[in-house]
Amino acid sequence: MTEKIVTSFFLVASIIYLCFAQHLTFGTIESPRSGFLPILAGGTAVVVSLLLIVKQIRSKKSVTNNKVDWSKFSFILIGLLFYITLFNIIGYLISTFIFLLYLFKIADTTGWRLPLLLSATSSAIFYLIFKYYLAVTLP
Amino acid sequence: MDTLTMLLHGLSISIMPVNLLACIIGVLLGTLVGVLPGIDTISAIALLLPFSYSMDSTAALIMFAGIYYGSKYGGSTTSILMNVPGEAASVVTCLDGYAMAQRGRGGAALTVSAVGSFIAGTLGVIGLTLFAPPLAQSALAFGPPEYFSIALIGLIVLTKLTGTSTLKSILMVTIGIILGTVGLDSMSGISRFTFGIDELDRGFDLSLLAMGIFGIGEILTVMTASSTQSKVQTIRFRDLYPTREEARRSVVPIFRSGILGFLIGLLPGPSGTTSSFASYALEKHYSKNPSEFGHGAIEGVAGPESANNSANSATMIPLLTLGIPFCGGTAILLSGFMIHGIIPGPALITQQPDLFWGLIASMYVGNILLLIINLPLVGIFVQLLKTPIYILMPIVAVLTLTGAYTINNSVLDLMWIAFFGVMGFYLRRTGFEPAPLIIGIVVGPELEQGLIQSLIICNGSIWEFLTRPIAGTILAVGTAFILYHAIHWFINLKHQQKETSINSNLHQY
Repeated sequence: MTEKIVTSFFLVASIIYLCFAQHLTFGTIESPRSGFLPILAGGTAVVVSLLLIVKQIRSKKSVTNNKVDWSKFSFILIGLLFYITLFNIIGYLISTFIFLLYLFKIADTTGWRLPLLLSATSSAIFYLIFKYYLAVTLP
Repeated sequence: MDTLTMLLHGLSISIMPVNLLACIIGVLLGTLVGVLPGIDTISAIALLLPFSYSMDSTAALIMFAGIYYGSKYGGSTTSILMNVPGEAASVVTCLDGYAMAQRGRGGAALTVSAVGSFIAGTLGVIGLTLFAPPLAQSALAFGPPEYFSIALIGLIVLTKLTGTSTLKSILMVTIGIILGTVGLDSMSGISRFTFGIDELDRGFDLSLLAMGIFGIGEILTVMTASSTQSKVQTIRFRDLYPTREEARRSVVPIFRSGILGFLIGLLPGPSGTTSSFASYALEKHYSKNPSEFGHGAIEGVAGPESANNSANSATMIPLLTLGIPFCGGTAILLSGFMIHGIIPGPALITQQPDLFWGLIASMYVGNILLLIINLPLVGIFVQLLKTPIYILMPIVAVLTLTGAYTINNSVLDLMWIAFFGVMGFYLRRTGFEPAPLIIGIVVGPELEQGLIQSLIICNGSIWEFLTRPIAGTILAVGTAFILYHAIHWFINLKHQQKETSINSNLHQY
């Protein structure tokens, strides 16, 4: 099922891309313009996605995968979105410390002392390396 | 003679303190990347790209190349000791390497793997030294039609040899080409598919894409997997000695697979993985005891590990002489060249001889360093393997995100990396191999430029295109390849239909 959803996503994205590619000038075969390759590539992607979907519908086999802990997956993504949002607001050091601690707890690190210690030291080390050694402007 | 003189000149450059240090850092990081599951070569190089801005270009490229070939050495350690391949190219090493480790011969398997990697890796670099200069010389005569033909056929062969489904690989390459069209069109100067976002004018940053798809995608895969971490065996220095019999049985497979790997490395696609599987089949075929394979045959470790290392060296040939990457690793290396303002291709050897020969010579030095690192220091790497995934992965995730932010100091880049991370996670789960996507992005603009310029030169005539000797030959070889596979597919389909009809007839009776 996931395989079909991913292929359908590519099909929809390719159709949208192809629609926008129509706004560019195609040119002629003697003098191709900026829309030449996008239209060819978009058309190919639409055809190949369609073929794949047909093949996946007709085939009884599906890709076998290891089990995924979907709750962990969702929590990681939520944490990531919060981290990106807070990055500029509360600054690199604090947001990284919170995000690391959150990830350690999601990854089933037992207790609080080790995750707290690791989050504090890692975020401080990263901050020092990037800010002072590599002279990167961090929020 | 000239090659030898230039190589010696390159050696003098590669052993300069700054370059030697870069080489040591590169091979050490490469070994770490190979040893630690969940960290990919492509994402590691992508992560280090922004760090290299302030470095000298030769030193930076020596370091990236070190990571690239060093990762193949480290990949075997986890395969042998944990039955978990650190790299895709080391999957086949699990079969006999882990079986040997269970019999208490893990140390010997590690030694044979490291020595085989060293010998075959050096054989590969010798091949690179001998074949790259004449190929670069010939490539000087190439025009846009020739480059377009190589890029097109390269992508077609790549889709056939990568992953489990050709259609999926074609889709991935095409999506890569599509993503490569985002930004300012170099031919007309028009902004394409940027939707008014100025940051997209530069196009998608390859390092961001690689860090997202390969880095965050892999971290998501590892952190959400329900499997538990395997137990690691402890290896002492005295365990590393292979017996006389094991050493004798490894010699021929190392050389044979080294040559095989080099030849496969010249083809587009994941040559490291392909060569290790091909070598395993070859060694089993030539073995006096094929039944031992899968139960701890030393040839099953020596052959594949040698093949993937020499293949790795060979993949540098199309990159350095034509400027066209044929696999994901060299695609990200190309991006490393470009951020330092260096365009690899036929002119590299004449315009930047110090860099070209310095880089090649550093690969000889790097192979020696890898042998030193991988044997006496194997105990340290084994200890590193004991680092719990729940500690390692969050740290790598934050390091990747911080590295991504430093590229443009933009939070939008973090959104992109999260998006590509999720995409990479789902691509892996659904059997879409992400490497062709990266190659599509890198080769796409070159393919477009070659196609448009060729059509203008040939006045839109496909016939004129085909009558150019080099372009015509390349396209003919590519067409033969496609026809061969089409016929093969058609015959298989007929067989399947025949079997289905026989089965249904039997069912009726």
